[in-house]
Amino acid sequence: MIPFCFKRLLWMLLTLWVVFTLSFFLMRAVPGGPFDSERVLEPEIERLLKKRYNLDKSLFEQYRIELGNYARGDFGHSFKLTDYTVNEVIAQGLPISVTLGTFALVFALVLGLLAGIVSAVSRGGWADFTLMLIATTGVALPNFVIAGICIILFVFMIPIFPAAGWGNFDQLILPAFCLGAPYAAYVARIARTSMLDVLSQDHIRTARAKGVGPVRVVVVHALRGAMLPVVSFLGPAVAGILTGSLVVEQVFAIPGMGSHFVQAAIARDYTLAMGLVMLYTVLLFSMNWIVDLSYSVLDPRVKLN
Amino acid sequence: MSIDGANTKKTAPQAGVSLTQDAWRRLRRNRVAMLSLITLVLITLLAFITPLLPLQAPDFTQTSIQYAEPTASPFWLTTFELNTESISNTPTAVAKLKAEVPILETAFAAAKSKLQQAKANLTVDEPTTLQQQHDDAKAALRQKHAEIHDTIQQPYRQLGFANLGWLSRNMVQLRYAMFSNRSLNSFCGRDVLGRDLLSRLFWGARISLIVGLVATIVSLVIGVTYGAVSGYLGGWVDDAMMRLVDVMYSIPFIFVVIFLLTILGEESVADELAYWGISRITIFFFVVGAIYWLTMARVVRGQVISLKTELFIESARSLGAGRARIIAFHLLPNLFSVVLVYLTLTIPRVMLFEAFLSFLGLGVEPPDVSWGLLANEGIKVITPVKIYWWLILFPSLALGTTLLALNFFGDGLRDALDPRLRDE
Amino acid sequence: MPSNSRNLTASILVLAILAGATKALFFNTSLPPADFTFVNETEIKSLDPAIVTGHPENRIINAVFEGLTKLHPETLEPIPGLAKNWEVSDDLLTYTFHLREEARWSDGTPVTAHDIHYSMRRFLGPRTAAEYAYQAWYIKNAHNYSLGAKGLQVGDAVEVELNLPIEATNTRRGKILRGKLLSVEQEKKSSDQRVFVVEIDGKSIHYQPTDDESAAQNDPPKNTHWCRQILLDFRQVGIKVLDPLTLRITLENPTPYFLDLMGFYPLFPVNQKCVETHGSPQWAKPENIVTNGPYRVEFRRIRDRIRLRKSDTYWNRDTIQLNVIDALSVDAVTTSLNMYMTGIADWVTEAPGPTLRILRNQQPPRNDLNPSPFLSTYFYLLNTTRKPLDDIRVRRALALALDREEITSKILAAGEVPALGLVPPGITGYHPQQTTANDPEEARRLLAEAGYPEGKGFPRLDILYNTHEMHQTIAEVIRKQWQRELGISISTRNEEWATFLASQRQMQYNISRRGWIGDYADPNTFLDMFVTGSEQNSTGWNNAEYDRLIAAAGKESNEKARMEFFQQAEKILLDELPILPIYFYTSKNLVKPYVRGFYNNVQDFHPLWALWIDRDSDEPNEFMSTKGQP
Repeated sequence: MIPFCFKRLLWMLLTLWVVFTLSFFLMRAVPGGPFDSERVLEPEIERLLKKRYNLDKSLFEQYRIELGNYARGDFGHSFKLTDYTVNEVIAQGLPISVTLGTFALVFALVLGLLAGIVSAVSRGGWADFTLMLIATTGVALPNFVIAGICIILFVFMIPIFPAAGWGNFDQLILPAFCLGAPYAAYVARIARTSMLDVLSQDHIRTARAKGVGPVRVVVVHALRGAMLPVVSFLGPAVAGILTGSLVVEQVFAIPGMGSHFVQAAIARDYTLAMGLVMLYTVLLFSMNWIVDLSYSVLDPRVKLN
Repeated sequence: MSIDGANTKKTAPQAGVSLTQDAWRRLRRNRVAMLSLITLVLITLLAFITPLLPLQAPDFTQTSIQYAEPTASPFWLTTFELNTESISNTPTAVAKLKAEVPILETAFAAAKSKLQQAKANLTVDEPTTLQQQHDDAKAALRQKHAEIHDTIQQPYRQLGFANLGWLSRNMVQLRYAMFSNRSLNSFCGRDVLGRDLLSRLFWGARISLIVGLVATIVSLVIGVTYGAVSGYLGGWVDDAMMRLVDVMYSIPFIFVVIFLLTILGEESVADELAYWGISRITIFFFVVGAIYWLTMARVVRGQVISLKTELFIESARSLGAGRARIIAFHLLPNLFSVVLVYLTLTIPRVMLFEAFLSFLGLGVEPPDVSWGLLANEGIKVITPVKIYWWLILFPSLALGTTLLALNFFGDGLRDALDPRLRDE
Repeated sequence: MPSNSRNLTASILVLAILAGATKALFFNTSLPPADFTFVNETEIKSLDPAIVTGHPENRIINAVFEGLTKLHPETLEPIPGLAKNWEVSDDLLTYTFHLREEARWSDGTPVTAHDIHYSMRRFLGPRTAAEYAYQAWYIKNAHNYSLGAKGLQVGDAVEVELNLPIEATNTRRGKILRGKLLSVEQEKKSSDQRVFVVEIDGKSIHYQPTDDESAAQNDPPKNTHWCRQILLDFRQVGIKVLDPLTLRITLENPTPYFLDLMGFYPLFPVNQKCVETHGSPQWAKPENIVTNGPYRVEFRRIRDRIRLRKSDTYWNRDTIQLNVIDALSVDAVTTSLNMYMTGIADWVTEAPGPTLRILRNQQPPRNDLNPSPFLSTYFYLLNTTRKPLDDIRVRRALALALDREEITSKILAAGEVPALGLVPPGITGYHPQQTTANDPEEARRLLAEAGYPEGKGFPRLDILYNTHEMHQTIAEVIRKQWQRELGISISTRNEEWATFLASQRQMQYNISRRGWIGDYADPNTFLDMFVTGSEQNSTGWNNAEYDRLIAAAGKESNEKARMEFFQQAEKILLDELPILPIYFYTSKNLVKPYVRGFYNNVQDFHPLWALWIDRDSDEPNEFMSTKGQP
């Protein structure tokens, strides 16, 4: 397992380097500098400002310096939020997004598995049909539409949740639900299929024949087998939740990475945008890695290499 | 690690029934999938013949009746006044303008070569004036092109159409011949500018479907080629190529797309692109296509690895067929089923992605319209004070139905083509 | 791995996720509610008064800093702030301010005339690059000082700032040497390396400006010394400290609105010690910043909120009623309305157009909505350096084809008035000028005359606007109107605020949306935007007669004659039409009935220090009973 982790780390560093290089040159290719909106400057002052961001040096020199800074974990100053460094923005935004994302994932797993199992057990019945219809609808609508509908339903018609904002527990539930809903739907569908698969296998039949109760069969014997495809879906789900939070954070005015990310890209906040790309790459990589690890934990036949 | 991939198929075709026929039979038995297929065919057909339908123009603004609720009385409106006279005059006017183009072209070419010469000779002062002449000549040429374009589009634009292609223009004329100035009332209500939502939904379908289809096909071409090559060559090439795919899975492409679209939205860049007929949506096709190929490449590779040990490939090889030939003629046709399933499952994802970009204001640009854009417009006017329900309901319904149908059909197709999952 | 331990691992994994989530959550929760919460639109750029320009910044900086004067919340007249009183000389050129001895910074030290002097110098200094620096150019020689070396002439008294070591805090000033500028030498014509010959204590010394890093690393050219910058001697600028509590400011010209400007946030004082200890931008962080206003910054969460708490060092703290204020940063208008409607926010500055119309027409009338006109104009800039907008006939045609009525009656909902001029009505003594209203017939004729009959061959122009639903809708309607009346095809393009400003400044646009809110109640705030070389004039248009009139108005002390100059200038502007006026703004605040001390006024400016909450009173609050303009 340790060589596996080590290899993964190496690959991650390589990827980070590639991503860094790509985004560095992409951003420098954008017309217009960071001081576009500043007033017309004295040549000396302009040089000074450029110097602060190393823009006076050759492209390669800039690249070298930046790479060094990034390697040390220093992402520099945000171009547009002038009072903050990129690291500070991340330090503020990341816990929020992680909280939101984790809850969304928990929602997705709990709701999805529950729906999938119920569906599989009551296969062909009305519960199966209704749940699968809801699940498929969840997959088929953009999450900003889901969020809008949730706001109408649970903020205005049945006022149980606040409309937006961040800080209290009740402000978390609705966004986490909207973010997790499409993935709950996916999980439900996957869980149903694999559950059906497992339920028809010999060892379950044996267990049933031995007189094990239906609940015990499902929970103890079938669930673990059915978890496998669900876990392998976690990688894409986490990636999707990271992306999806761009929308949900905007709709619910949540100050997480998603909001910063969109604003930075649109406002051409070079440094912030770049820092966030790197962060997202690390997140995606680690998530895929954790998923692979948990896979080997759940299924001993899978070997890490 | 490789979990996905090599799903070795144990499907010996039954005697006398080919794999495809067998699959088709199974598919027909799946009622949900068939219903979905019919829905999809219907939607595609309607989207295709939209210009022929008696609808109002999608961009026809009447602010006096903004936010009108859905209504069916009167059934017909008579506001569709196509200026046929102007259309019939168009060819002569265009011909006249086109005759002027060659002169401008030569002028532009001359200015350009002069400028290049001056630059090569490094004369200090002259390039500025030459640059000016060059720019002027270029502007004059482009203006003439714009003039031709405007002359053609003018009658349709006046009615409230976005830029129309040749086929659409003819269809609109045909529609006018059939229905005259009649058009259906706003069964789906009107938006803030008083535009007819029904017609916008139909025109939006065209763009949404094309976006989904084209971007998916782009990703398909890349993915299939990449996967087939990787799987067929095997060895270290395969290893390296698959490692690259793994690495790319961890790149936050969403950012790249957003960033690319904002860069290309920069005025100077956008102007140049617009002249070459490249709109944001064209860029979208390629960028999205370039992202979604990863899964395809993995799946195809798995298929190819299992296929290449099959007998018919061996025999082709022993007959002396080259690698490229084997990939193109023997492997690819056998990937058909995988590709088809993938197609139906990727199109909805791409359409959702387009909606997502519309939400961020990076989707299609007005006056063009897509379902994602409509859904976003609908969501924006949801307030506790008043909910213009039709503006969110109908676009969601259109988008939802299509995506549902695609999902169900894709599922059905997978079940049908992969008998291992067949119901007992 | 045996099955049990695998189960165990899986459970631990799940538990860890849950625990992590809960832990992360409790870091963010248990925030006690504020006394007053409002939606402060977008995230503020900085808390440094000198470098910001927007409205969200204005609201916060007005709460945490205080200038010599402050503006009355209803009339916006300048009232005593840091200065308890002042004297104005008869020629209206000299202002003597007497500061309050009880005024304190939030670190407990007194606010003195030296602080004002320091802040003014910092504000004008080219290295600060304050965008609003021109608002202090009314002070004698301030303009030349803030231009840096560009503002110098041979013979001027100058100050030479020497370089500091690289590790020095970036806000500290180097050693200052004073002398006389003898000459300026430029090495090569193309090079921007200038050498200044300065006479100091009878010796003439060559100075070349450079940054600290180069100065530390390289030797200066022969016989030359490095320096950071060369400026006009600040002692020449009309700001004098007479004693720690008395400050004298001398102006270039009589400026009727000078006291208003002293209450304008970019000119507010900052704490020298704080700025120089922490450096820029670190000093403006909530944990470092030292302020002198009614509130202090408790914390700031990016794109979430700024929490303000009543300052216990503010001289007038006994009159401040709200203890804790939350300024939320919410970009989406719909979201902020939702927050207002569900009681999260007590004040939102804007509601979506269509919604506002419904709210206005509700019966019985709402007790939290009272749209009122204020000094602000919505207009389009035309880039007159580009074809075909360089042709006055085209500009006129575009203006004549506009149907402003359609926009104000159908799209806007707060009772906005169509604008036929730049200066809004409501400034005492000024008769606003008007351009011709909608005349499509004439517009088509002009366009044909300019070479585009029926709009054929008209280049593909686009309308640029900053990302906002309302701007988008207006741009769409105008696009349609031009298409309908002129047959031309225009597209629309949106950009995020900062990028949008950059495009405007660099004139990377054809037609661009612009809004201008009067910084003070005088036509000058609108009209001096379009003089040649003004930083706000991003149309490329210039007119010598216009410049002359605005300059003449600046020197005129007779009020009637001054207004006459302005009227003539506006007439020129509206004849030449580098801008297309569209409508005059109306405020769209929604304010809960229990919020008191909130007045409608001509700048839609509502200082937080004036507010209080009264949930028991039945009578309408000040917001409902005041109008911005007659």
